[in-house]
Amino acid sequence: MRAPVAVLMSLLILLMPAAARSADDAWTQAQAKSLWQHDVWLKLGHYKAGAWPGTWASDADDARFFLDERGHEDPRAELEATLAAFAAPAELGDAHAQCRFVARLHWLRTELELPELPQPDCAEYREFRALVQATRVVLVFPSYYLNSPSSMFGHTLLRLDRGAADGGSEYLSFAVNFGALVDADDNGLFYAFKGLAGGYSGQFEVDHYYKKIQEYNRSENRDIWEYPLNLNEEETERLIRHLWELRQINFAYYFFDENCSYRVLELLEVARPGVDLTSGFPLTAIPIDTVRAVQGAGMVDDKSFRPAQGTVLKQRIDALPENLRAAVVELGEAPQRLDDADLQTMPATDRARLIEAAYRYLRYSQDKTTRDPDIARRSYQLLQALQQQAAALPPDTALADPGTSPDLSHGSRRLAIGAWSEENQEYLSLGLRMSLHSLEENRNGFPMGAQINLGNFDLRIDEDGDVDLNRLDIVDIVSLSPRDRFFKPLSWAVTTGIERQWTAGSEHRVAHVNGGAGVSRTPWSGSLAYALATARLEYNHGFADPLQPAAGLRAGWLQDLGPVTMHWGLGAERFANGHTRLRAELRHNLRLSRQQALHLEVLWRDQQPEDTLAIGVRYQHYY
Amino acid sequence: MKKLMTGAVLLAVSSVAFAEAPGGPNCGWGNMLMKGKSGMGPHFLASTTNGTSGNATFGMTSGTNGCSVNGTLTYGGKAMVNAMLDEFSTDVAVGHGNALTAVAVAYGVAEEDREAFAALTHQNFAVLFPNESVTADEVVAQLETLMKADMQLSQYVI
Repeated sequence: MRAPVAVLMSLLILLMPAAARSADDAWTQAQAKSLWQHDVWLKLGHYKAGAWPGTWASDADDARFFLDERGHEDPRAELEATLAAFAAPAELGDAHAQCRFVARLHWLRTELELPELPQPDCAEYREFRALVQATRVVLVFPSYYLNSPSSMFGHTLLRLDRGAADGGSEYLSFAVNFGALVDADDNGLFYAFKGLAGGYSGQFEVDHYYKKIQEYNRSENRDIWEYPLNLNEEETERLIRHLWELRQINFAYYFFDENCSYRVLELLEVARPGVDLTSGFPLTAIPIDTVRAVQGAGMVDDKSFRPAQGTVLKQRIDALPENLRAAVVELGEAPQRLDDADLQTMPATDRARLIEAAYRYLRYSQDKTTRDPDIARRSYQLLQALQQQAAALPPDTALADPGTSPDLSHGSRRLAIGAWSEENQEYLSLGLRMSLHSLEENRNGFPMGAQINLGNFDLRIDEDGDVDLNRLDIVDIVSLSPRDRFFKPLSWAVTTGIERQWTAGSEHRVAHVNGGAGVSRTPWSGSLAYALATARLEYNHGFADPLQPAAGLRAGWLQDLGPVTMHWGLGAERFANGHTRLRAELRHNLRLSRQQALHLEVLWRDQQPEDTLAIGVRYQHYY
Repeated sequence: MKKLMTGAVLLAVSSVAFAEAPGGPNCGWGNMLMKGKSGMGPHFLASTTNGTSGNATFGMTSGTNGCSVNGTLTYGGKAMVNAMLDEFSTDVAVGHGNALTAVAVAYGVAEEDREAFAALTHQNFAVLFPNESVTADEVVAQLETLMKADMQLSQYVI
């Protein structure tokens, strides 16, 4: 055994100078072309230009991603080291630079003459490529999920379809997901803080798409929109090769900018050299904006909808005649009700639909708990009945109108200019909102009853030209999910920021934190009524003791009337120091176009001893 | 250490009935029908973070409920039945659906034979799912017996 190894080794040693020479030669060629300045090389290294001209820093926060110890800041040194490492002895195997940096190798081969490189056996990469293949790449947008700070704005990932993906086979496709590597001990709020500060590392993960379906469609009950991309075969290969280079590589994870969606754009930039997707997101990368950027670059062919479990169930229930809906719940409680005369004699289609709705509803309810033998038995009875009636089920109908897809919503940022009259003052307001949507705004592309505002600044300019802060909403989230016979979700609101309050006869800027929880209902289609119990903590210099907690109530009515949405609200609060506030407000929003709206606001406040009335009109432009 | 403890505990419970589970020691083949949200722990974690927990999966190390599928080219019908038992049972009852197709694809059933696969499972619903406590491995055993006895589909099981 030893002799052949020794022969092999001496052969290798003989070959090495040649390999080293070829590396030198390749580096001479690379220098002649200043190849380290090439956009493809910079993209493959995730380099970003520094503040000082000619300086670079990579977003990859991981020594394993670089072959030169200065590689993180020095694309030139990294290129030289890469070329040298490609010529290393082949028996490094999977650890060989050629095996780890397959996209770099592939690209450098097209740019340089790289003769006679050693040929390491890249077993891991071969195994990966045997599994992960694609004929189609799909950009996936799991929709807004208000119950989690990290998913409020939705999310994006890529899906790699192997072969013709249709009707189930995409369950086995691979999902490419960039996510923070989190510590399970961190709760949601802490996550948000840590995420803002870049306290997490993020990595790419490649896993089966059905797990994403289970996570988003089922566990979180989020609709998923899918946008097939028109990447060709070579572009898709480039993407997968680079993905391999990013295996287990850490990136600093920032909640707002260098997040999941941003990294997905970078992958697409590597796939299609020359396309610029990331430069539009210097500050924030809101997932739906990144979807629009990919569309804007002409990379999206189509879109499709994958409804959440709850969405499917709602549609099944809505399809039933009104007089049968009560039986959906009854059947779930007592499947033997199927034998009753009224259910025996109904048309076969209605009976099949009813059984299906009852089964799905029972399962949906069960999903919130652990397995219960009694519910399992009833579910099984309904499933048996469903199997017997299946032939009578009408075919599945189309589930969503592509005209309401999230990419068609109004722009994420908003500029507003307004004119106000408050008591005997008149002033103008100038507003900038960084994100995203208020209840009364054009709802197309957003879920009903969702308000997701982060970073809303409003300035006031009075008659003397003095500029002052009108309000600052740091966080302003409202989630109104209507309850009915079938669904009993909680509605809630969280708000924090700075606003103006009349206290003891003068106006003060106050800092406040509010939370509320309660219920909402849909009295009829297009309307939403809500009531929340609220708690507030306010820091107000108008009070003798500035920090005061308060408890209160808040109720309102939302009404959709085509281009106009009306929102009427009432609120009452009592502070620990005895101070009481009453509030009535009216907000009417008139949609002028997708990106423009007129907003009328009337706000009456009784802050004792005085009451005040403010009326304002605002022009809103979204972008 | 990144925490996956809740998930691990759940899996341990679900596989307790099987001394030697196929697919590896931590493999949750014992998934029972009508289970509801299986693996609630990791799902809950994922939902509050939008992130990955612990070692990020990268294709080849992916498993279902701890089941090793290393080295297999396709995902394996067994793993798919186990991973989506409830959805699969619903699709079998109705006679079509994404989970049913996914299981067929995972068994390598060619497109022209998928209709036969759907029909076979739908007609034999009572054999595959004799009661509400049937487990994934029992379903798989019955399914493969049915396929073996079927002229068109026997080629897909060894």
